[in-house]
Amino acid sequence: MSALFEDHADQLKGQWITEMRESGLLEQMSDVETEARYTALYNTVVSTFRTGEFEDVEKYAKIITEEAVMHDMSVERIIGGILKLRDIYERFIFSKYRDDEEKLYQLLDSYEPIANNILTIVTMAFVEERERVIHEQQRAMMSLSTPVLQIREEILVLPLIGTVDSERAEQILEELLDRIVEVEASVVIIDLTGVPIIDSLVANHMIKTVHAAKMLGADTIITGISPANAQTLAGLGIDISMLITKNNLRAGLWHADKMLGFKVRIEDR
Amino acid sequence: MDIPILKIEDFLVVTIQSELSDDEISKLQEDILLRIKDVGATGLIIDITALDIVDSFMGRTLSNVAATAELLGAKTVVVGIRPAVAVTLVELGIRVKWNVNTALNLERGRKLLKQLIGAEQRGGVS
Repeated sequence: MSALFEDHADQLKGQWITEMRESGLLEQMSDVETEARYTALYNTVVSTFRTGEFEDVEKYAKIITEEAVMHDMSVERIIGGILKLRDIYERFIFSKYRDDEEKLYQLLDSYEPIANNILTIVTMAFVEERERVIHEQQRAMMSLSTPVLQIREEILVLPLIGTVDSERAEQILEELLDRIVEVEASVVIIDLTGVPIIDSLVANHMIKTVHAAKMLGADTIITGISPANAQTLAGLGIDISMLITKNNLRAGLWHADKMLGFKVRIEDR
Repeated sequence: MDIPILKIEDFLVVTIQSELSDDEISKLQEDILLRIKDVGATGLIIDITALDIVDSFMGRTLSNVAATAELLGAKTVVVGIRPAVAVTLVELGIRVKWNVNTALNLERGRKLLKQLIGAEQRGGVS
């Protein structure tokens, strides 16, 4: 069967590329690129039919899906091409052995599982690659959204923005503790202005963070709790007596300066 | 192996270099308290920078030493707690009952001790 596809390679490949072009699957691609890309794919598919080994397809699928996801290509475009080739082969087999029914079914029986498998491999590779990218972006976003800023010799500010779930809470805790050690901070200000909802999870995490920071010798000041959140916190019945809380970041910074003996002076201008 | 207890001015400094068995921890506790009594130390610094793991027994012992040292007239500061250790201790819930003073490193610990002792003396005078 692979010999069949190989012998008629030029004809089948030409037909394949024409059909893909007609259905708009090849937009934004030069003729040279198209030729090179689909010749490679065609050869991979044929060799898979010859050997029955799917390693090459897997490798190839990984490469093209990586590229496809990077360039934001649609699933349709990736899968569409493979589906087209599948149809062309099938039609070709039919036209060739129309009169020899026994041979036809025998061929189809060996052809279909392999063709389906190739399609599955490419689809899976595409989905996996997409998930990988999504996961990567999530991580990047998480670390982007939790900067720990050093604003004075011994003062760190952690402005929290957005909702806090357990995973993010853990990450924030680790990041903060590492930074405390790194810059030898004595005071940490956690600003919650950008946190819309403070529930018991966030509150407990805050208390945990305060305790852990204290063990590293840093005092924590919490600022920017909204009136609504303050009410929730009071209603939760969590012991927050050990927290130093201030109205806003400005007040928090002022308090931190006082703790460390910093004085801000305005020079005559 | 005996863990050395160093004396600097009126302070004692104990550096724990490796994981200790429960027996060794108990022995160390005894040694430290005897030394405080002997030299009349006003401060004690326990450095645990080298420890990757602090279990609940160790945590409790540190807290006990601090409380007992206080009775003998010495303030205690534990220094060099690593981030991972801090997280473990907090998760063990030890910190809640833990009234031990902590500082980032030896230098900060010494500074804190001086503050604590200074505050007490000023409080005593007035």
